[in-house]
Amino acid sequence: MRDTSRPVPFARAARAVFDLALEGMVWSRRSLFMAVLLGLPIVFAIVYRVVLATHIPPRVTPFDLYGLLVVPYYLRFAVPLAALFYATALIADEVEGKTLTYLLTRPIRREGILAGKFAAYVVTTLSLAMPAVIVTFFALMTVRGRTGLGAAVPDLLRDLGVLALALLAYGALFTLMGVLLKRPLIPGLLFVFVWELLANLPGYLPRLTLTAYLRSLVRHRPAEEGLSEIFGQVLPAALCLEVLAGAVIVSLAAAAWIFSTREYVMDQ
Amino acid sequence: MSATLEFVRASRWYGQVIALNDVTTTIGPGVTGLLGPNGAGKSTFLKLAAGQLAPSQGEVRMLGQPAWGSPELFHRVGVCPEADAFWEQLTGLQFLLGLLRLTGYDEAECRQRAENALHEVALLDAKDRKIGGYSKGMRQRVKLAQALAHEPEVLLLDEPVSGMDPVNRRRVVDLVRRLGRAGRTVVVSSHILHEVEAMTRRVLLIHNGRILAEGDVREIRDLMDEHPHTVALRARDTRALARAVVGLPHVISLTFGAEGEWLTVQTAKPDELYGNLAAAAEEAGVSEMYSPDENLESVFRYLVAG
Repeated sequence: MRDTSRPVPFARAARAVFDLALEGMVWSRRSLFMAVLLGLPIVFAIVYRVVLATHIPPRVTPFDLYGLLVVPYYLRFAVPLAALFYATALIADEVEGKTLTYLLTRPIRREGILAGKFAAYVVTTLSLAMPAVIVTFFALMTVRGRTGLGAAVPDLLRDLGVLALALLAYGALFTLMGVLLKRPLIPGLLFVFVWELLANLPGYLPRLTLTAYLRSLVRHRPAEEGLSEIFGQVLPAALCLEVLAGAVIVSLAAAAWIFSTREYVMDQ
Repeated sequence: MSATLEFVRASRWYGQVIALNDVTTTIGPGVTGLLGPNGAGKSTFLKLAAGQLAPSQGEVRMLGQPAWGSPELFHRVGVCPEADAFWEQLTGLQFLLGLLRLTGYDEAECRQRAENALHEVALLDAKDRKIGGYSKGMRQRVKLAQALAHEPEVLLLDEPVSGMDPVNRRRVVDLVRRLGRAGRTVVVSSHILHEVEAMTRRVLLIHNGRILAEGDVREIRDLMDEHPHTVALRARDTRALARAVVGLPHVISLTFGAEGEWLTVQTAKPDELYGNLAAAAEEAGVSEMYSPDENLESVFRYLVAG
């Protein structure tokens, strides 16, 4: 029996928004582009297997190559970019498409709308990124047989966890930017490609970036990553997890508050 | 009339632009037409009523609660926005199911309500087609269906028949009238006068963000003392009729119509004219009488020009 004196319960509302949002998110041009972006390392891994493996000196192991892909490519480039393009658009797409009115004229709290859409973002990006990382891992790690593969699997699981955490942290931050700013894309790109470079500097400045915490959680960091090779800071895992969780919670709470108090004027 | 919707000195501005200015009105059950030219403030009025905007000043209450910030109201309120906007990849049925789930119904009830609403707007046959492939009229109707599907007590319809062909326009007009007769509160906006007139005689005229007049079209007309009232009479002997009324102090002018069958009288006091006409009408053989001023278009023209 529905209680019409109250909004639909939060979890039920968020689930209904999730169902509605997921379909549109998965079958979108954005997802096609992101699938290509996140799947590029698979192509590289296949090319490496077929062509390069025989020519690369044995001191550069497939494990090194995989490590090179995980941090610079996924953590520093593909994942933040995927988060930027999806998360800033969670509400902006509905405003631009003038479909937000349908959501705002239902007996649901706005926080439920944001939660449902954020969950759809997480599921979509995870289902694009995780298989790509797993396939890349196995394609590279089995180039020279299966020796040592079993020992490396825990690292893969840890990498997947860190990537999931990165999608959550960047996603939450960009969701906040999406509800706060009218045009969040440029500030988002500046954050990813300029601000996050602070992670490579000495002192306390790296602690102002998400990259520093995410990178510290990855077990196999690449040998060369600019200045970080010189100053290379590895922050304690517990601190990293606390800061990243805090960033997710604070960003989402702020985004929910802004979204629930803001007016959206859909021009005719 | 019990108030479903109340505006108490409500104003709304966007930056320097005043969209709605110090509006006080109440709307009760039945159909109320919200009428005004483009940019008059109709959409702002409906957005305030639907809690999409907060009043910059004053108060807007729906079903006794503040319209802004009361999402639970949407169990009892349905909104049909003006914008032709959809999740194009969804079918008509999926669109309604998705929105009904957000209203808190279980799956079986969602399906039943969705199909009922699609049937109501004659879209049941097209329920499995993607909205992206719908015609303009079908899109309007599916938009209306989502507002009706949860059987709300209050319906806020922004230009609901815009873009529809005459057959579907008739269907929607009939539907709106039926909902009004069933005791629902329906507020329907349009800038096309005959559309509103076909749905209701109760109107709210908005111009430049202000309510120019409200009530029955005839009552509004009666309020406009500065404008002469027009009464057209068809008679066997229009000259005799003219002789009977020409000396009356409230009669302003007389005009003979084509072939001398019609006499148009302009008067400052229509009630007195009708009283004076009683005897003369029989003598002159009056067979038809109407007031062109009761036509919404003429009322609106008078008011806006005034």
